Amino acid sequence: MTYLITALKGLVLILMLLFAFAYLTWAMRRVLARFQIRLGPNRVGPLGLLQPIADAVKAIFKEDISVSKADKFVYWLAPVISFTFALAAFAVIPLGPEGSLFGLDPWVADLNLGVLYIFAVAELAVYGIFLSGWASGSKYSLLGGLRSAAGLVGYELALGIALLGPVLLVGSLSLRDIVEWQGEHGWLILWQFPAFVVYLIAALAEMGRTPFDFVEAEQELVGGFSTEYNSMKFVAFYMAELLHWITAAALIPTLFLGGWHAPFGLPDIPILWLFIKWAVFVFLVMWIWASWFRTRYDVMIRFAWGVLFPVALAWFLATAYWVASKGGAV
Amino acid sequence: MSAFDLIAGVLLVASALAAVTLKNAVHAGLALVGNFLVLAMVYFALEAQFLGWIQIIVYAGAVMVLFLFVIMLLYDAKADVGVDRLRWMRPVGAALAAVFFLALAYAFSGVGPVNPLADVKLAGGLPGPLGKLLYGLWLYIVLLIAVLLFVATVSAVVLVQPQTRKARVKPQVSERDRELEEVGK
Repeated sequence: MTYLITALKGLVLILMLLFAFAYLTWAMRRVLARFQIRLGPNRVGPLGLLQPIADAVKAIFKEDISVSKADKFVYWLAPVISFTFALAAFAVIPLGPEGSLFGLDPWVADLNLGVLYIFAVAELAVYGIFLSGWASGSKYSLLGGLRSAAGLVGYELALGIALLGPVLLVGSLSLRDIVEWQGEHGWLILWQFPAFVVYLIAALAEMGRTPFDFVEAEQELVGGFSTEYNSMKFVAFYMAELLHWITAAALIPTLFLGGWHAPFGLPDIPILWLFIKWAVFVFLVMWIWASWFRTRYDVMIRFAWGVLFPVALAWFLATAYWVASKGGAV
Repeated sequence: MSAFDLIAGVLLVASALAAVTLKNAVHAGLALVGNFLVLAMVYFALEAQFLGWIQIIVYAGAVMVLFLFVIMLLYDAKADVGVDRLRWMRPVGAALAAVFFLALAYAFSGVGPVNPLADVKLAGGLPGPLGKLLYGLWLYIVLLIAVLLFVATVSAVVLVQPQTRKARVKPQVSERDRELEEVGK
């Protein structure tokens, strides 16, 4: 029975994520259009709200072309990997306290090592981009894939070390414990501000958004890793990319901004507060996207290894010293 | 032997064979990633959770991504290994493998029935108890391995150092110097 309920919750989560993806494409285009004093999609349905459905129909009926120079098996496998692992990461994020979802727990999986799970899934998702770059048999794709691999390893490291501070302070790798700790002791952003900044910057790189959207820098690489993909295979990549964004926007509040806890002593309403924080971070990414430039690739790599990594490491050592001098986690 | 053991064993051996026999280097690398993932599942089944996740993050994630990165960078897009240049190595390798298997069989022949899993497992394989062992009982071994890895990293950096260290010249500047030289000629 528990397996069945977990499977059902997983299914509902996937449907919710796909719905969020569909309307994120619409919201993204509308908001970016506002930033650039345009209208954005407003023809299909009221306010253009049916645009995602029209896009889906178009993508499904498009002819599925594959490249003759492509490595057939890997070419087909890459979007599947990307999409699968992008969907999987959300499963450990708690949306509320125990039993708050009609008597059920509002999360799919409660892992002791939830933080490690998120990292494992994020690292395996890199394979999708990376392999598609190689398997397409095109130089632009290969360059995009190599960039993603080299860049993501650097930023993944900063991301991981930035998280060590909060984990030491809380004394647990479970996302539920981290959220509950924040309910008792105050948000981790107040305790761990440098870690938050490093994590936010590295997460922007991880989800491939401005200023770090070097993987598919269209002026240099046409479409980067996805140049040779079209119809549903391309949509799988596009979904994966936006799902990383959706997941990261929920993960950052969970780790640093109290998760589902309400701010300023307002009443705790499960799911609602996390949703509001999520929306803020989704918007923040769009805001950065609309107003900033893309960094040059070598500058970006040097920034990851020369600035983010040492800062994260120094802050981790400071936290470790402090925790050790107090004789254990808070 | 349970069904899980059988499936995991078959998958492990099959992916390991694929990793050494596949002609295409990237395919072989992917087979190795599959091998690491099945190994992580075996760790999970042994309730070594932490080890399982670390196996995925470090080996299947970071190490193999860098490995494939180098393959993609060095070979052309097809990454075909082509004709085996070291054909005479094959019988030598087979003989060494046979010796290794015999040694393993000898080493395990002295061991009695394997302990049931319930006795071996370590508090669900969580990082806490594992850390107490690593940084308590086996601290010296951990330190030795740390020194070994550190030496390897430093020596790798030293080996790729150019002989003389020149000040970094910006590509634009060196290009301009070259052009000025051409004009002067």
